[in-house]
Amino acid sequence: MSPKLPASVSGFTPIPLTYSSSATHVLYARRNVGSKKNKPDVKGKGPAYPEGRTLFLVNVPPDATEREISLLFKSAGTVERVVFDGDREEVEEELEESDADEDMDSEVDGVDEDEEDTQEQPRKKRKILKEEKQAPPQVVPLPPRPDRAYRRTGGSAHVVFLDPSSLSRALTAPSKPKPWPVDTTSPQGFAHYENLYAALRPPLDVVRAHADSWMELFEYEQEKKKQKSKYKKGEAIVDEEGFTLVTRGGAYGQTLGGGVGVASKKFQGEVREGGGKRNRKNRKEPKEKETFYAFQIHEKKRKELISLKQKWEEDKANVEKLKSSRKFKPY
Amino acid sequence: MALDKKRKRGSAVEKDSNVILPVNGPDEEDYEMVSDAASGSGSSDDDDVEGHETAAEDDQWGGIDGQASSKPALNGAAKDLHKKKPPTAQELRSIKDATDLYRSSSFKLQIDALLPNVRPKYQRSTPLDHFLHTLHSLLSSLTSIPPKHPLAASRELQAKGIAVPYPLPLPTEDTNWKVSFEKPSEILLVGSWPNKLSVKAKDGERFSVDLAVIMPGDLFQEKDYLNGRYLHKRAYYLATIAAALEGRKSGVNVDVLYGTARGDPRLTCLILRPKTDGSQNDFTRLDAEIRIIPTLPSNSPILLTRLSPKRCNVRTSSGEEASNELATPLYNTSILLSTTPRPHLLRMHSLKERVYAFSDALALLRVWANQRGYGQGNRLCIRGFDGAGSLWCTILDLLISGEEPNPNVVGKSSVTKKPLGKGLSSYQLFRAALDLLARHDFSQSHVFVKSDRGHRFPPEEYDSHEAVLVDSTSTVNVLAGIPLGSLEMLKHDAALTLEALNENSISEDPFSEVFLKDHRDLQSRFDVVIRVDLSSAQLREPSLHATLDLGSPYNAVLSTLSCSLRHGLGDRVKAVAVLHPSGQAWSLSQAHPTNQPTVYIGLLLDAEHAFRLVDHGPSAEEAETMAAQRFRDFWGEKAELRRFKDGSIVESVVWDVKTADERAHVPFYICRYILHRHCGIPESDVQHWQTSFDSLLRLPESIADMYKSATLETGFKAAQSAFDQLVKSIKALDDELPLAVLNISPVSESLRYTNVFNPTPLPRSAAAALPQCAQYLAPMDIIIEFEKSGRWPDDLRAIQKIKLAFFERLATALMNSTQGLKATVVVGDFKPVSDVQDIAKLEIVTLQGWAFSARIWHEREAHLLDTTIDDKPHVPKHLKQNLPGGPDPKERQAAIVAKELYTRRFIHAPRHHRAIAALCHRFTAFAGTVRLVKRWFASHWLLGNHVSREVVELICASFFLIGGQLSGSKQLVRAPGTKERGFARVIEMLKDWEWEKGLFVPLYGEEQPEGETASTVPVTSPSSRTGVWKVSTEFDRDGHMWTSNGPDAVVARRIRAVAKATWGASQEIESEGYDVVTLFAHPTKDYDFIIELEPSVLSRYCQNVKADPNVWQRKGKYVNLSKQTSSTPGVRPGFDPAQFLFDDLSNAYKDTFKIFYDPLGGDRFGAVWDPTLKEARTFRVLGGFSSIPKWKEDESSKEKGKGLVVLNQEAVLAEIERMGAGLIKGITTHI
Repeated sequence: MSPKLPASVSGFTPIPLTYSSSATHVLYARRNVGSKKNKPDVKGKGPAYPEGRTLFLVNVPPDATEREISLLFKSAGTVERVVFDGDREEVEEELEESDADEDMDSEVDGVDEDEEDTQEQPRKKRKILKEEKQAPPQVVPLPPRPDRAYRRTGGSAHVVFLDPSSLSRALTAPSKPKPWPVDTTSPQGFAHYENLYAALRPPLDVVRAHADSWMELFEYEQEKKKQKSKYKKGEAIVDEEGFTLVTRGGAYGQTLGGGVGVASKKFQGEVREGGGKRNRKNRKEPKEKETFYAFQIHEKKRKELISLKQKWEEDKANVEKLKSSRKFKPY
Repeated sequence: MALDKKRKRGSAVEKDSNVILPVNGPDEEDYEMVSDAASGSGSSDDDDVEGHETAAEDDQWGGIDGQASSKPALNGAAKDLHKKKPPTAQELRSIKDATDLYRSSSFKLQIDALLPNVRPKYQRSTPLDHFLHTLHSLLSSLTSIPPKHPLAASRELQAKGIAVPYPLPLPTEDTNWKVSFEKPSEILLVGSWPNKLSVKAKDGERFSVDLAVIMPGDLFQEKDYLNGRYLHKRAYYLATIAAALEGRKSGVNVDVLYGTARGDPRLTCLILRPKTDGSQNDFTRLDAEIRIIPTLPSNSPILLTRLSPKRCNVRTSSGEEASNELATPLYNTSILLSTTPRPHLLRMHSLKERVYAFSDALALLRVWANQRGYGQGNRLCIRGFDGAGSLWCTILDLLISGEEPNPNVVGKSSVTKKPLGKGLSSYQLFRAALDLLARHDFSQSHVFVKSDRGHRFPPEEYDSHEAVLVDSTSTVNVLAGIPLGSLEMLKHDAALTLEALNENSISEDPFSEVFLKDHRDLQSRFDVVIRVDLSSAQLREPSLHATLDLGSPYNAVLSTLSCSLRHGLGDRVKAVAVLHPSGQAWSLSQAHPTNQPTVYIGLLLDAEHAFRLVDHGPSAEEAETMAAQRFRDFWGEKAELRRFKDGSIVESVVWDVKTADERAHVPFYICRYILHRHCGIPESDVQHWQTSFDSLLRLPESIADMYKSATLETGFKAAQSAFDQLVKSIKALDDELPLAVLNISPVSESLRYTNVFNPTPLPRSAAAALPQCAQYLAPMDIIIEFEKSGRWPDDLRAIQKIKLAFFERLATALMNSTQGLKATVVVGDFKPVSDVQDIAKLEIVTLQGWAFSARIWHEREAHLLDTTIDDKPHVPKHLKQNLPGGPDPKERQAAIVAKELYTRRFIHAPRHHRAIAALCHRFTAFAGTVRLVKRWFASHWLLGNHVSREVVELICASFFLIGGQLSGSKQLVRAPGTKERGFARVIEMLKDWEWEKGLFVPLYGEEQPEGETASTVPVTSPSSRTGVWKVSTEFDRDGHMWTSNGPDAVVARRIRAVAKATWGASQEIESEGYDVVTLFAHPTKDYDFIIELEPSVLSRYCQNVKADPNVWQRKGKYVNLSKQTSSTPGVRPGFDPAQFLFDDLSNAYKDTFKIFYDPLGGDRFGAVWDPTLKEARTFRVLGGFSSIPKWKEDESSKEKGKGLVVLNQEAVLAEIERMGAGLIKGITTHI
């Protein structure tokens, strides 16, 4: 089955791919449009997706690897890199529509790479470090996970070509569906699970080296942070206008971060509760006598009766309701 | 004071006008003072009354000068006003009555709604009256038949196609007395019909209208009480009437049948069932039948004194030594019953007149009894209660009239101190009756209802009866013929119901439990159910006397059966009940009732004694005594003299069991042995289902043999000792670790006895011998807690890394110290997770092949996560929005996920584990129940992925924990005694569980950690979870700790449907060919597509319910199998490719389809497409599913821009096939 596809769907070019004789998958491609969010980000990296040579893909097969995508677009030009959404922190404009659930998911995927997916991560980490100082400790990576990862279906990806001209070539609708290039070097299914299982259990010395080096780096960074911070524990923070910052913290008003502390609200509450019990009791005492006048007694009785009747009516209504639904026929 | 009032008033007005805006008070001035005070007191003392009500009330009393005045609201208020009038005196009385005399007012209203449904429609009885007139004139015009020899008479009637139901002993040719017929001297309507006390019976059985036909006294002679002569004459009389009714000229259009109670041919009566013909005699619509009961006149020559229970009136041996013969109490009773219809009628009438609630109470009692099988019915009923209608009247009579003082028992009255008042409500009478039934043992102390003329027979003569409750005429023991086991069952049921009624919880209304629910289901009612085929029964000691006393050989077999079982089981059981459908009416051409060829035996076990292996008898010194003799005689070759540890030599019976499973079968073994020995029933005719249930929890035999040949120690005990060993060796490492180990807590099903299968180790040496489909080694989760230390970094990511370092150190140290132990650090999960989440674990495989997976619990994590989620807990929410900064939303989200996992993994799981393990020790049947229920959930593709294992444990626990405790005993009356019953109870509950109401399980007993709950409540918002079940405990008031990930509404409904089907299938137990495995067979036709997996590569396939041994036996057939076996890298704990693929698929296609699979060796996935995806929809970038553009030929230009897409099913299936390469055999789609 290879249905005739429309030339464009909501501005995307559908690219049919054949999986098998009967199954056709459709990839949607578009020139990547930079959004306001796609500015050089806070950390001072360059534009994530260079204008003009980035292709935005939707409905990427869940098991696609970078290599498979590159192979697919080989005819259009050389692919510099493929970034699967959810593997990066940058969020495309379209993500705005996504619900919280999706947000969370992409988040989970995104953060994981910090350590687990060493493909990408060490590079980034190193990059950050470079800017900070010349000789930070290096983290010994854990063995990489297999290339293959199963993502959510219908996901998107950015393909960055080496050459801007490739983009238009990639976007011209192909005359006939291309077959999906399956990368045999990264196995699927059973073998994939075997590899992954093995990859998650690295030799002990690697684990040790990784943990030690990571902690070294961590301590190094902590140290640096400490040096940078002008606030010391117990010292007041005074801003340029001469005001002292007052913060809450600690049970007895001792703050850790700096500034002058006051006791925490909880602590204050406890003190008040412990000490103030008698006070409250006293306050309650001058209460109106409820049975002072005869009419008050009448009133009270009457009210009781009414509420009694009301409850009765309620029960009656309940049973009526049950009667209609359950029919009190035991058998 | 005045000032205070002023202030008060001000606030009250303010408050009220806030709440009541719409009230428009009438003009104010005059009323002001009053209204003021009223509203003041109203708002101060009645906080719980909603504002609405106060509003209406103020309105009526003149109210407050509310500024607001709006017309439409006034209407509403006026309507309310109408309702809010104080009740009239009469109303008040009825309300007071309802609340004081009944359990609650709604209970009373429900009773009122119930009663009309169980009573006949008397307004339709005109045709019946017509018919009775016709019948009366017919019967009074019958011609006399001169005396004849009984056999000759019966031959005559036989010619007309009517058999005379002569009971045993049958008349012979040399019988020297004659039978004759004369028209009845009187015809009376008796029983409950004329008193309007009839109560509908179960299963559409008809109301019975009892017609006493009083036979003329001169038909009988003084000695007719002997040898069944009276009964023969009665039988002939009955047959003659039958012949007349059947005759062509009778003019009545009815079916005439014989019927009886308890299968006793001596109590035969005629049953007339109307045929629909539309005539004025046609009383079909009344749903009644007429029973004609021949009755003795008050002036009959038969001497009633001869019928005292002690007398023997059936002479089996010829000669004069009649005095030596055993008494025939049942025979005597059957004759005495012919005298009671009229006195009973009068007694009931007077009771009904005297006690206004009598008829309602009787109806309640009978409905209650009918629902529990103490009465007629097509389904299995408890033996002895059909036709026992007068029993229930007598019980109420006893409560109301009190006891006839028994001269032998001086001083104390055994039942009640004094009779109940006449003003009691129906509910109170009903409760009193249950209380009597639950507490009184009629076999221990005999009870005589107060009678007008004192005792007719001396009370001590009743010793020949098993249990005694003599009616108000002081002639008949209404409990005669009811087996003691049935009475014990009645006692148990009454206690159960009382327990339900005593429960104070408001949420659970016991009404439907008590009156509306059918409690006759065997498997949820009895701990052990045994099906016995009586066709080849042969009593070991057939006794002519017993047969004659009981009325038929069949009754004699059942009586022996019931007695010997009771004796043999002793204190192991609380009750032994014999069940069979109540007897049906039979045609006139047949003299005797047909007997049920199969009966069921239901045992209620006493868990404390039931599984004892040795029964002690009398000691050796008394070897020659009667007791020893009887013991040996009873047990036959099973009885042996044994010497015990304390030096005593005692007659004993020992039951050999090989496995723990078999121990649960001991009560069944005893039954089987006794049935064989005493009733001659071959073992093949005694069927039970425990073994089939056991086999569901066991690996297939061939695999088990492989384990056995590898001499591996399997089972929960072995797992536990492996764990203890590990704990010891870890604690021994204190010097080599930077921090001392404080605590190691287990959190694994295998260590709390609730794993479906017995845990098995898999050492490297044995792994090679086992096929790949049995290579699964389940790691047991444990949690390590180190001593507190300030050296932990104060950063979540760093903590995770430090854990890695700890694990590495621990692994190295363990491998050095313990021989053959292998430890690996697992650095991640299959699914990538955020780096603030606890992820790393240590995998330990011991030399014996036990696998553990350890995690480290660090308390600081919780605090750090909390601050990430909300770094300024002291700032109110509305201020926080304006504050700059705050946590990064993504980091916050990750922290929320991590916190939830943390709470579940480190706080709740260990606690849950401890509670469940304790429960397993407390209740023998609990672990088995959980295992069966888990197996059931698994085999229906729900466990783990949709229903967490912990929630299954909680649900099962509820059956052992919920319900009041009966004084003195540790076990609940309701707690199931075997896993089969527990399983049935759970299924029964699931089949109509309304999960919205939630279930509270008091798992942790008395602890009331109110304060703690607040802090441990997970931070998930209701929207983020998908589960709909709410199962709460003391520590988890919210009830979603174990259900937040499912089942969702769709799956929950499916569970209900599957449970319903399973319940239906388990009803088959009442018919032949019931197979337990069908309860665990999962239908797949509802799935849109089925993914078939390759069983030989699945590491758990051998756990499949229907595992095919060929898969592991034909080695070498699969090329890839042999290849992979050779390259298998040793033992891989937790390696379950099917589960991995399942997780990936369900994650990748979360919004595309719902996928199901049996985690216990399932070889298929089933999935259902999201139905909404089948509709074309506009293309979205993050549609979340694989789509294909929908090409429309007639696409208008307007629609062109929006591309419509639909789900691309083929592509998805192709992708699945690709992702599961090597695992998936094929995909079948259902259209």
